[in-house]
Amino acid sequence: MNSDKILKRVLFFSSLVIVLIAAAMVFSLFEGSLPSISKFGWRFLISDKWDPTRGSENYGALLFIVGTILTSVLALVIAIPLAFCTSLFVAEYFRGTKLASIVGTLVDLLAGIPSIIYGLWGFYILCPLVVEAGLSPQGFGVFTSAMILAIMIVPYATSLSNTTIAMVPNDLKEAAYALGATRLEVIRTVILPNARSGMTASYILAFGRAIGETLAVTMLIGNENAIPHGLFSTGNTMASVIANQFGEASGLQLSALIELALLLFVITTIINAIGKYTIKKIG
Amino acid sequence: MNMGKTAKLLSSIGYRKAKNNIFKISVMVFSFLTISMVFLIIGTLLVKGYKQINLAFFTQVAPDTFSAMMATASGKVIPGGIANGILGSIYLVLIASAIAIPIGIVIGVYLSENSKKKYACVIRDITDIMQGVPSIVIGIIAYIWVVVPLTKGYSVLAGGIALAIMMLPLIVRSTEESLKMVPDTLKEVAIALGTPYYKVIWRVLIPTSFSGLISGILLAVSRVLGETAPLMLTTLGNPDINWNIAKPGSAVPLLIWQFYNDPNMVNLIWSSTIFLMGFVLIINLISKWIGAKRK
Amino acid sequence: MKKSIVLVALLSLMTLSNKVSAQSISGAGATFPEPFYNAAFATYERVAHAKVTYGGIGSGGGIRSLKDMIVDFGASDAFLTSQELREMPAPIVHIPTCSGAVVVAYNLPGVKEIKLTPTVLASIFLGQIKNWNHPALKKLNPGVRFPNMEITVVHRSDGSGTTNMFTDYLTKVNNVWRSKIGAGKTVNWPVGVGAKGNPGVAGAIHQTEGAIGYVGSEYAFAQREPSALIQNKAGKFIKATVASTSAAAKGKIPADTRVMLNNSSAPTAYPIAGFTWLLIYKDQAYNNRSLAQAQATLELIDWMVSRNAQGLAVKTNYAPLPAGVAARAKAILRTVTYKGKRILK
Repeated sequence: MNSDKILKRVLFFSSLVIVLIAAAMVFSLFEGSLPSISKFGWRFLISDKWDPTRGSENYGALLFIVGTILTSVLALVIAIPLAFCTSLFVAEYFRGTKLASIVGTLVDLLAGIPSIIYGLWGFYILCPLVVEAGLSPQGFGVFTSAMILAIMIVPYATSLSNTTIAMVPNDLKEAAYALGATRLEVIRTVILPNARSGMTASYILAFGRAIGETLAVTMLIGNENAIPHGLFSTGNTMASVIANQFGEASGLQLSALIELALLLFVITTIINAIGKYTIKKIG
Repeated sequence: MNMGKTAKLLSSIGYRKAKNNIFKISVMVFSFLTISMVFLIIGTLLVKGYKQINLAFFTQVAPDTFSAMMATASGKVIPGGIANGILGSIYLVLIASAIAIPIGIVIGVYLSENSKKKYACVIRDITDIMQGVPSIVIGIIAYIWVVVPLTKGYSVLAGGIALAIMMLPLIVRSTEESLKMVPDTLKEVAIALGTPYYKVIWRVLIPTSFSGLISGILLAVSRVLGETAPLMLTTLGNPDINWNIAKPGSAVPLLIWQFYNDPNMVNLIWSSTIFLMGFVLIINLISKWIGAKRK
Repeated sequence: MKKSIVLVALLSLMTLSNKVSAQSISGAGATFPEPFYNAAFATYERVAHAKVTYGGIGSGGGIRSLKDMIVDFGASDAFLTSQELREMPAPIVHIPTCSGAVVVAYNLPGVKEIKLTPTVLASIFLGQIKNWNHPALKKLNPGVRFPNMEITVVHRSDGSGTTNMFTDYLTKVNNVWRSKIGAGKTVNWPVGVGAKGNPGVAGAIHQTEGAIGYVGSEYAFAQREPSALIQNKAGKFIKATVASTSAAAKGKIPADTRVMLNNSSAPTAYPIAGFTWLLIYKDQAYNNRSLAQAQATLELIDWMVSRNAQGLAVKTNYAPLPAGVAARAKAILRTVTYKGKRILK
């Protein structure tokens, strides 16, 4: 059928939009990183110095790589149980009821709050709690940032999971119940395997959101250029330092920041790949 | 034998029921935790911001620091509002959606229809990686590719394009996954009846997965409504309402950033956020209503 | 038919500017003067019917925008160095619009006023003085009961002109700081936590007992946080006010106004102060720019350094330009040309 072939071509070419955008990004970032790459080479990856002093500039990404991985992975670890249970609540246990609809909408509202407000909320509400618990002198740190990140990414983790869990065909579930399965068993043997693809996608999207978040983390992580030695110590992340210093940077510093952005691409790729591989192995 | 007894115990109805109940309780507890945090955050916003919400808030443009200072000093409500930001944000989101929704859905269809192919896996991976790009980096890219060469100045168009790039991964992936959940039998029946491919997609696949598509779009729109960093590098900001896409425009998150940095106007950030939440709520409710009508 | 009419109407609405007759001017840059600029531009719109859009994206962003020729003017808290001037595509002029100070704020319940010398100030930020009951502090402030509390230094995490002004001052008055840290918009802080923006630093100081940090005056004056009196070059301990900030500019200023006002020798001057500038190209005929646009830009800047706008600066807690500097600014504006011909009379 001619129209079928044309349509298939159109679909294929549409995917090139993604390729084009990604290529434009990588190209521009690479071009901007060249001065930094040529000056520091591989040392950039393992150096923990970040010194913008004119005359003795020395930049390295290690601090930020560690900070980024710590905060985003921790945020995901906190968010997954919350999102997983909320999805089951909305899409399975109370599916179709008004309660589920309200809860679902409320959680979706979280996605619309600007990150600066999350940062402020964390600053005014969470930091004092951490200080009172004696865990940190000012409340800043990896834990506080990860906590706020977790709340921020919950709607991303629930949205797609809700959809896929709700769309698991009813006849499959009813068959399992007819065989005498408990609800937990139906969830484990029917819903999860079917919804797995969608749920994985939603957690990966949530992780992407966490790793790229700038403003909220910046306001809560303490911005200390040192490798965090504990859960409640301060540190810094790649997105945060880029957002902080980009406005005023020029020359070599700007190039180093752009190289960080390029590295973030690489790290996201690696962690996503690890995540997808792990899910495959578990399933 | 012991093995047999353990196996019998583990498969006994009592044990299975106990596990079921423990799981149910855990689900309720965690859901409750999530919901309480939502209430905590929204509650804080409402408490801090309700005083600044009045009719002027929606109809007047942002005040300057001097009038704000005077008002705060005398304990009155700060005059002016965020009308320039509200209309600016709506304009930006419309432009971004006009770009991202059609493209995102089409790519999502492509990915779900060619799910196993190696090329599709690559596209999917790239899309997931794009989700992790910090919003400021997207702003930088839009600056390099749109602001400088295309519009030769800060513009609403550049902002719209930056936001569209941020919306794409969410729309693409939720479209793909929602379409994947449509039972194969539906598709096979349609094809067996000789339906042309485009009709299968348009009349069978998309309507069945409609709620999933809408959720993805909703999430993407909610996200970009609150973004600041990319807009600072693309649409810059505007004290007035602006409809010219080649000129700088305003947006609520930009105003929030401006208020935050000004000690006289900082109280306006909470009411502005309440507006954003209200807007997200309204489009949420509208989409639920559309979904219900389709049934 | 109806659909296409609506479409055409929408498109024409989108491409026509709001008030067809009004000139629109765009600028970007420093966040420090943003509240003053926004108030001034709003007034200017009423007076001259020209719309000004300004984005506070940071001095660096402003310079970048000017370099890429996508704005009419840039705004910066730090003047361009000779190197940076060479990197611009064409010669630039600096026009100062007002000045501001960097205030040292602290959180010590019950302590109303503390005096600091440059040496003690540098030592605190170097991490050499770690506790509030250090003998050096007690010596300077005999009447004050300092608690046995650790000093928490708060600095900026983001690059900023405020940091530049503060570190430039410390570099000028302290040898250890000059050799170890230096000046810049971002520096390698030896101790302390970083907070984003003036509100971040002010908030952190507010919430942490025993904290000390530096805040831009535009923020500090409005917030009325307790701030330290700093000893200036003439030996006097001065509190940061609009008057003492203006006093810092009453000295010798180079012809192109590119100078940091730190460590001024004027007796009533607050020692940590500086100008903020608007930047434009010396010849406005670049990139197909029209004479009308250049004229509108210059008229705006001319108004900014005139009496009405400078009076507004005082009202919004910024230090106005002393008469001599304002006159200098106007003179510089009259050297700006369009294709070689002077624009302003």
